Amino acid sequence: MMDIIRVLVTGLLRRWYDNLRNLLTGTRPPAGAAGLTVLCPIINDSDGNQSHVMALRQHLQDLPLHENSPMAAVPNTYLCRFYILNDVFYQGAPAEEEHLKSKYLVYSTNFHGDLDSYLSGMWEHAQESIRQVWRHCVAFENVRTTADFVAYMKKCQVRNHLFFNGSTGDPLNRQLKSLYLKQEFSRFVYDHQNTPPEDLQRAFQAFIARTQPGNPDSPTWVAGADTESIKT
Amino acid sequence: MSNIAGKAYAMNVVTPAKWYWVWVNKLFFWFVQLPGGAAYLKGLLTLSLIHYARWAIVSPKEFPHLDESQPKEKLKYSYMFFFSNFNGSWDQYVDSFHAAIPQGLDLFWFKNVKYPKSVPLQPFHAYITYNQIWTSHYYSAYPLATSNDIKSARHLTRELRAFSESSARADPLEFHEAYQRLLRDVQQDISIMERTPIVSLSAQAVEQRLDQADAERADQ
Amino acid sequence: MSIDLQDIQGNIVKGYAQYDYPKARYVFYHIRNEVAGRAFVKGIAPLVTTGIPWNKKAKPNAADAPPPATTNIAFTYMGLKMLGVPRKSLQTFPEEFVMGMKLRKDILGDDGPSDPRHWDRIWRDTSVHLWISINGRDPASIETRYQEISHLVAESDGGIIQLSGHHGPDGSTDLPYQSASLIYKNGIPQAREHFGYRDGIGEPYFMASSGHPNRVIGGGKPTRGDPATRKGWEPLETGEFILGHRDEAFETPIAPQPPLLAFNGTFMVYRKLHENVGSFNRYLDTVGENYPGGKELLAAKFSGRWRSSGAPVTRFPTNATAETFEFQLNEAEARLYAERENPSKEAKEAYVALRTQMAAFDYNHDLEGSRCPLGAHIRRINPRGALEHGKEAFNTPGALTNRRRILRRGLPYGEVADDSRDDGDHGIIFIAINASISRQFEFVQQQWINYGNDFKLANDKDPLTGNHGVDSNQQPTGRMILQGNSTATENPFFCAGIPRFVETRGGDYFFIPSLTALHMLSNGTVDPT
Repeated sequence: MMDIIRVLVTGLLRRWYDNLRNLLTGTRPPAGAAGLTVLCPIINDSDGNQSHVMALRQHLQDLPLHENSPMAAVPNTYLCRFYILNDVFYQGAPAEEEHLKSKYLVYSTNFHGDLDSYLSGMWEHAQESIRQVWRHCVAFENVRTTADFVAYMKKCQVRNHLFFNGSTGDPLNRQLKSLYLKQEFSRFVYDHQNTPPEDLQRAFQAFIARTQPGNPDSPTWVAGADTESIKT
Repeated sequence: MSNIAGKAYAMNVVTPAKWYWVWVNKLFFWFVQLPGGAAYLKGLLTLSLIHYARWAIVSPKEFPHLDESQPKEKLKYSYMFFFSNFNGSWDQYVDSFHAAIPQGLDLFWFKNVKYPKSVPLQPFHAYITYNQIWTSHYYSAYPLATSNDIKSARHLTRELRAFSESSARADPLEFHEAYQRLLRDVQQDISIMERTPIVSLSAQAVEQRLDQADAERADQ
Repeated sequence: MSIDLQDIQGNIVKGYAQYDYPKARYVFYHIRNEVAGRAFVKGIAPLVTTGIPWNKKAKPNAADAPPPATTNIAFTYMGLKMLGVPRKSLQTFPEEFVMGMKLRKDILGDDGPSDPRHWDRIWRDTSVHLWISINGRDPASIETRYQEISHLVAESDGGIIQLSGHHGPDGSTDLPYQSASLIYKNGIPQAREHFGYRDGIGEPYFMASSGHPNRVIGGGKPTRGDPATRKGWEPLETGEFILGHRDEAFETPIAPQPPLLAFNGTFMVYRKLHENVGSFNRYLDTVGENYPGGKELLAAKFSGRWRSSGAPVTRFPTNATAETFEFQLNEAEARLYAERENPSKEAKEAYVALRTQMAAFDYNHDLEGSRCPLGAHIRRINPRGALEHGKEAFNTPGALTNRRRILRRGLPYGEVADDSRDDGDHGIIFIAINASISRQFEFVQQQWINYGNDFKLANDKDPLTGNHGVDSNQQPTGRMILQGNSTATENPFFCAGIPRFVETRGGDYFFIPSLTALHMLSNGTVDPT
């Protein structure tokens, strides 16, 4: 119990101090990994000879996978998903039985950076794919510009009460470049277990020239690829 | 439709809780995010199976309402939305949490309606299965990587770049010695990523049918 | 709750090899009709060896006298179906058991040379329904029991077929049964397999285990106490290995219905694993030449134990410490063997003390793996709390390991005629017993042997038993890092090009019923209603 109180007091003081300092110095905390959860109501009507919810579900199920997913085009997307919330689950008596009045498209994404830049990037790089998904949602027909899209998503946003980062908060290109380097350097190490110093140094210089550790964008892994695929 | 993208599995769980209890959950979530409160996440970090996870509690008033054509929700419960991106199979994940951090789980789902507690396992399995929602489309930027791989790659890259600069002008013997030092520093980061072991035979069968359909499309 | 050991088949609670039964014969049968099948099972039932503790001094026919040969029986899913077990009951068996080992090949990593296409003929062509094992002190006792059983087969009038199709040493492909035996050296049976490793050391210790209470050390589940003492360990729950009893999830394990069919029964994995002795020796010779610690240390790093003594490398990290230990162990074993008819208390205690040292360790002083590599065989198959990575972050240090333990009951088979060659018919008959094949055996095989993420080793595999592949030039691609000591400037060593040392040659999944269930099966009275 004392432990909890200590954490609470020091934690709160620390947080107030940080906020105050940021306010006074005009700095912002470094952007890392963040999560966005949106619940977008689906139009409760038919879309041709299907309901909107059926059409949307089939569209999502049939989206291409991995590097061909439309989400591969969205900058700084680590992992994201779509599902459809048909209803809430009745837990059985004595729990209350209740039902949703709308069905919701749930979009949950884990990304790097601040929300506005992420959403703008999403619209700018995957606008057509986004329309194909969100056209089934209430009031999306009014979205025309980047600003409209950002505002729409924020209106559908629900608050994350805990976001847990078990990975890193680096920009995606840095994560991918690191994975590429880990893979390539591991191979290098196994291939040069018994190489004499002079040859080793030469080989290492060639390795650095080839893999360019300082260049985050090339060569590197292709975002979303489920086989080893290198972008130069 | 798939909950799987390479080495990542997407879990979605939506569970009801009474409005007057969810403030306890919210307080707990807030508390563990304070500096120092993170000690309570030590088990989660040590399990090291998760890329990113989150809990979002949505009260009846907070369900997004966009325009007049959409009826307002009339609900009594608040709903907790849980999302996880983890490495391994459903069983491996759920069982690991049940065994390693049962008290933590019971705080996360504290007082959710009919939550059976995380021990024993079979009722907990049944609860998660009943309240889980399958993902329609799942995307991972690195299907070949686990969160362990991403963390080790980050460390390796930092060390490798520093070494590459500091050793640029070394003679071969100095270089060799420094190289060995580098390997000692990054020995926990040296490993090669390949495709995931299959998560289940059903998932594998689906994947094979999709690959086949792709190949047929490519042939035409 | 005490457990009725007379209701439990003896192979579950006893590793017969440790009770001076060095040889075994595994025989497989096909049931052609239900009536004959049930009659056969009824005939076998009185021969079945139970788990009752043996008393060496008992009169030869007493219930607790060790028999000249043991007999145990188990069924595949198809076998249970052929015996007329009702569909409602069959549908309560777990998926992996219903499918059988062949169809699980993608989970088990049985690819390339381990693919079922290359298995012994018995596993390819026919449907195995029933397994009988006979373990004996000598070939004659085994043969006597085998003849008794063969007589029952003959009486079935074609209703029961003994399946042949086991491959043998001289190129034969149609042997009527699988023989297995400890390997003999100077006429003394050795607990050793064909690569030269001492085997059968790590044995899970659970509530119903027999033997010296010190076996809990290293055999039980880790506590936060000192791993060198009994305080560091507790017996595992019985339900991890026998159905109907409390397990490590604080409940009774999921089991087939009706409860009496499952109670005191369990599941068994039978696997014939060929050992490529030539490849193994060549790899050790070649890479051992460049490895600063030499060939024997390399072999020890692969396994986590020194080959000749079985001493754990995390506790005996140098040749010198291992040799001293081995000398003491050999002395103690020789004395025990000399006194085998009536061993003295001192001889037993000296031996137990040394055996305990072989198991009394965890990896908390070796977190970076500079003594026992993170990817070593024994560290993979039983991480002993190492998955907590020294952080005391879990409810219990064994949180991720206590439900992944298996009892091993196998023996080596065949002889190595030429240790520079891979061919021939020799290896290990791997037998594992567990309450859930998928949660225990298959998990270990898939996640810990053929993959490495839990050890933060990406896709690295077990160096000894992993299904290492080949690249496009048919060059082996297995790899292993032998971690260095970052504070003592001991460099890591990287083993590349490891070939597949172990290949699967057949096997299946079996249900071992209790004596009660055997009675119900033979009478056709299993009723899940």
